[in-house]
Amino acid sequence: MMKPVYILSSSAISPQHSFEPENFLHPVKSTDDGKLFVVDPDYRQFINPVAIRRMSRLIKMGIAAGMNALKLAGLEKPDAIITGTGLGSMTDMEHFLKDMINMNEEALNPTFFIQSTYNSVNGWIAVQSKCTSYNQTYVNRGFSLELSLLDAQLLLNEATEREVALVGCFDELTDEYFIVKNKIGYWKKQLPQSRHLLKESNTVGTIAGEGTSFFTLSNKAENSVCILHGVKMIQSPTSAEISANISTFLQQHHVALQDIDLIITGMNGDTNFQPLYQAALEHTQPHTTIAAFKHLSGEYPTASGFALWLSAQLFSTQTIPEEIIYKRGATTDIRKILIINHYILNTASLMLLSN
Amino acid sequence: MADRIVVTSLGILSALGLGKEAHLHALTRGHAGLQHPQFLKTFHAPDCLIGEVRMSDEELAISLNLPGGNNGYTRTTLLALFAMRELLQGVDESLLKDDSFAFINANTVGGMCSVENMYFDFISNTPEGDFLKYIDTLDCAESTQNVAKYFGLKPMMATISTACSSSANALILGARMIQQGVVERAICGGCDAMSRFTVNGFLSLKNVAKNPCKPFDQNRMGLNLGEGAGYLMLERETDAKKRGAEILAYFTGYANTNDAYHPTAPSPDGAGAYRTMFQALEKANLQPETIGYINAHGTATINNDAAEGKAIENLFGTQAPYFSSTKPFTGHTLAAAGSIEAIFSIWAMQEGKVFPNLNFENQMEELQIKPAAQLISNVAVNHVLSNSFGFGGNNVSLVFSKV
Repeated sequence: MMKPVYILSSSAISPQHSFEPENFLHPVKSTDDGKLFVVDPDYRQFINPVAIRRMSRLIKMGIAAGMNALKLAGLEKPDAIITGTGLGSMTDMEHFLKDMINMNEEALNPTFFIQSTYNSVNGWIAVQSKCTSYNQTYVNRGFSLELSLLDAQLLLNEATEREVALVGCFDELTDEYFIVKNKIGYWKKQLPQSRHLLKESNTVGTIAGEGTSFFTLSNKAENSVCILHGVKMIQSPTSAEISANISTFLQQHHVALQDIDLIITGMNGDTNFQPLYQAALEHTQPHTTIAAFKHLSGEYPTASGFALWLSAQLFSTQTIPEEIIYKRGATTDIRKILIINHYILNTASLMLLSN
Repeated sequence: MADRIVVTSLGILSALGLGKEAHLHALTRGHAGLQHPQFLKTFHAPDCLIGEVRMSDEELAISLNLPGGNNGYTRTTLLALFAMRELLQGVDESLLKDDSFAFINANTVGGMCSVENMYFDFISNTPEGDFLKYIDTLDCAESTQNVAKYFGLKPMMATISTACSSSANALILGARMIQQGVVERAICGGCDAMSRFTVNGFLSLKNVAKNPCKPFDQNRMGLNLGEGAGYLMLERETDAKKRGAEILAYFTGYANTNDAYHPTAPSPDGAGAYRTMFQALEKANLQPETIGYINAHGTATINNDAAEGKAIENLFGTQAPYFSSTKPFTGHTLAAAGSIEAIFSIWAMQEGKVFPNLNFENQMEELQIKPAAQLISNVAVNHVLSNSFGFGGNNVSLVFSKV
């Protein structure tokens, strides 16, 4: 079995104040139109000033979070850059596609085409950090981040010396994407205030979100915030399969369910998926606190990145904010966290962390 | 010593046809698969040549026993299904149960070939229509999911998108997952169908040739695009031998590096390409002189061939091994190129042949080396190097060795 990896730093741009984590949830950002867009930081601090003018928002978000994660770890250059995205730069894709149709395939701007390629954020981070080593991008719906983490774990297990991989994920919401997915029932018909999403768990649909999260991972414990023991991906899960997978996953890592202090779930208020979480949480011990986050981030293919960033923060602060608590347990310390996330396109993933 | 990774089954579909016989027939006779697109409806059809698979979506669907018309299957997936069906012939299904095996696919634009024809329906006020069958097909994992579903498989799935090196990366990931015991077997490769989006993207970058491309030629004018799919099954040598499977090649080395130079252009001195090839040989524990054939990336763009040519010369010297780009045959099949050319490289060893670099006429001024312009037969090729270099500086080199 592969050895665990250590998280040295994390950075997230999300619909909440996460880029400057001391302001996280002060105040809580909430909307009533079903769309949670990110709070933009000052991108110019992190991106080449000449290049930035032509960059679309997802590219800027990805580079800034990636470069910030490196900065927080005190690193200029990682040993690998591995990312995952479900959708890539939708803005650029839409722009190029519509121009192509409207202008009868003439006089098109290549910038939109280049930026719509899924690995363009990786390429830019490599240029900016002068990282000429391993570079990889996964585009696999609800597993895009999870595959990146697995790849990093493989890489760090293969390494003979101390190495640090920069791992991240990014997805953006556009108005057109909202319209498209509305046609197949992704979003709630009666849109709630986003922060009250989980109180509206008796109807189908959820709310849309976006964000980017980056992490530096190492095979050595020095200067680490927490340990990522493993990631489990479950394709087309039934309720029973999720529960069974949780048991096996924890057993593999020699952890009992009662050892878990905090479970962070990807509950998104959709009655279609609530039973999966109910089954998963059935045997939870009374002392375990159960939390949720999609009322803060919205739903998107790499939303589990927000949960992973949140976990890394909570190990440091040792305080669980009221805003994320779904069911309070008796626990006071945060030593072990289990993330359970489900994504609309029929995938579920588990991540186990400890301090 | 760690168990070696072997290739035990192949599946391939390109403009040259389906499977080994059709491909070898074309590759050895110099029959290029490029044509003015007949199935892709683009304004640029008269001005560009494409390595188009010679079947309509309808014909592909019928051959796969799928309903015709708007059946919800993108051309990307249909191409992938064809190549995968070929790979799976002769593979015992019991080997592919549950998540002890992985399907690692690669793709650049997902189902854009379908989506681009109905995007305005997607974003209109129209709530229903045939377009709904394609509403979840834009992303790269669409083909991965649908291939697994079609064959009733439930593997661990991954989809990679690193532009033109995508499927070469899929092979690397498969080998690493097997080596670390994550899975026992992996089917790795990529698929890409031609789309107007891609054609126009490359046209906007002004690196598409109107005529058949001329890799490593002084007067090269850019690339021709292509479509296709290629998959390889990887497993441990001991597992393959235990079940008596024919071993087609050893997968002995690989490297993934990044230029860290520019979003679309390689470092002009070829430093990135050099590093990638060097590391792949190092991983394979081979000296440069042992390589019998290099299947070059060789897109026939000004930048790539200059950088790659210099890198080959720097690493191998002026007595470089035989090298050729097979892209004048297939067009640049983008995400599928790495796996399709890995298959060509394996056949070069099996057949003792170096496939020609078509259309080469004029020596490049900045190089002393030149590609193999004609078919070379009866040559002992014991180790091959296959290059795939992509946008974003994503470079991959693979090394295969003869059984």
